[in-house]
Amino acid sequence: MLDIKRLERRWLKYKIKSFLPYFITLFAVLSVLIGISLWFNTEKPADHNRTDTQKTIVSPTAEPLPPVAMSDHNKTVLEPSMEFVQAFQNQSVTSEPETKLPPVALPAPAVNKPVRPIPAPPKTLHMPEYTPPPEAPAGLRAVPTVSRTVTNDKSLSINRNESKLDIEDLQRRFKETSNANLGLFIARYYYDHGDYNEAYNYALKTNNVNNRIDESWILFSKSLVKLGKTDQAKKTLQLYISQSNSDAARGLLDAIEKGNFK
Amino acid sequence: MEHSLFSKPRDLFLDIVNPRDYVQIDSVSHMYQSLKNSVQKPLKMILLYGRPGTGKSMLLHKLHHDLSKHQKVLMVSTPIVDEDDFLRVIAQNIFGHSPREVMTLNRFLEISSALSLRDTPIVLLDEAQLYTPSLMEKIRLISDARAIKFVITLHKTDKEDIIAKEHFQTRIWESIELQNASAEELKIYVQKKLLKANCFDVANMFNDKNMKLVAALTKGNYRETNKLLFSLFSLYCWYEENHPSRIQYNAIKPKWIEMAAIHTGLIHA
Repeated sequence: MLDIKRLERRWLKYKIKSFLPYFITLFAVLSVLIGISLWFNTEKPADHNRTDTQKTIVSPTAEPLPPVAMSDHNKTVLEPSMEFVQAFQNQSVTSEPETKLPPVALPAPAVNKPVRPIPAPPKTLHMPEYTPPPEAPAGLRAVPTVSRTVTNDKSLSINRNESKLDIEDLQRRFKETSNANLGLFIARYYYDHGDYNEAYNYALKTNNVNNRIDESWILFSKSLVKLGKTDQAKKTLQLYISQSNSDAARGLLDAIEKGNFK
Repeated sequence: MEHSLFSKPRDLFLDIVNPRDYVQIDSVSHMYQSLKNSVQKPLKMILLYGRPGTGKSMLLHKLHHDLSKHQKVLMVSTPIVDEDDFLRVIAQNIFGHSPREVMTLNRFLEISSALSLRDTPIVLLDEAQLYTPSLMEKIRLISDARAIKFVITLHKTDKEDIIAKEHFQTRIWESIELQNASAEELKIYVQKKLLKANCFDVANMFNDKNMKLVAALTKGNYRETNKLLFSLFSLYCWYEENHPSRIQYNAIKPKWIEMAAIHTGLIHA
């Protein structure tokens, strides 16, 4: 009647389909982020390229022949290139005082010195605009924590539900049958409803009926912690772990010791 | 397979309307109590309506089961569309009279007044949206004459709202609307059903997360929930027989709930 193989394949298809929008969104966000980072990166290299081209043009100035060949196609290109040459000359001159290396090769550009120094490096000053945010959220964070506690309170009040299982009937049946699974069910019911005393009682009764149910021991220990008897809970868990080697019990014991479970 | 841990829970969720399987949930039992109170009042007609799968038929069957111990009650589960047949069936079951001639409304009322029963008999009509407007009109006339008290169920759809308006709104009586269950109610419904049948270990397997998933898939519809859980436990039976190692006995696998939902058509994959 049930074609499980086909059903599993359909389930896989469904899962892929249901996760697809998340993948697409993730992909879109990532590509946008990559795009933005690339855009920022390409902005800086553009400046570098300029200086690079300037440099490459400079070398032809020493040998004036190649620009003449260019002028065949576009004369207007030649004029700005000359400016670049001058700019470069200025640049090379301004760099002189820093390096204090042979100033002999270019004596003439001394006049151009004040015209256009090389203010290109200050462009890096744009970067600090991104840094300020980290300080601001510190003040803001206080607000969400308050609202969170409020919502927690609300959820606690919602948890009070009018619908109830016939717990008395179940208790009566547990008394009659001493069924460990039923005891565990009742213990879990009380634990979920915050009645840790009853949860403790029923977990204990369940353990008496069947002392090999992991969950019952865990519920028992959890109820003890909730009742403020943490040491007793630890002892119980240690004892149970020594007998059963239960991973779940070990996990709970770790959580209690680290203070993660209160 | 028959001795499977899951075969009993599976059969519990067969979509069969049986008043013995009625599970008491606070909101539904409140509705049921008000329905019972309404039946005791000198009302001519009581309307029970709601979306499909909200438990109308179950409530009607439960009412029939409870009332039939004390008074004359007829349950008409499948609509009798032919007017003559309808009146004849009621006359025979309520008044114990089946004339050979064609049963007209007048003849029916004559029989009723001739017998003059102490308590007004009750007729429960399920799926009343399937009755023709002319038959509904006759039903109204019979109830107006206080020959019979009708409790009818209707699906709440746009079309049936018109029927409700035409036949009931002006002459009400009493109307009770049933709603879909919330996740919490659905959890109680499933657990009560399992506990009633002593399936404690399976009841322990359901956690809140499972029930939220079930409620989200079925939208609180009891019929869909029954169908879903029937397929779910069928899956468990199969795995228990073929791959028992894949079963976790401490919790229901959400994957298998979704697989059952795919099987029942709740998820289109």
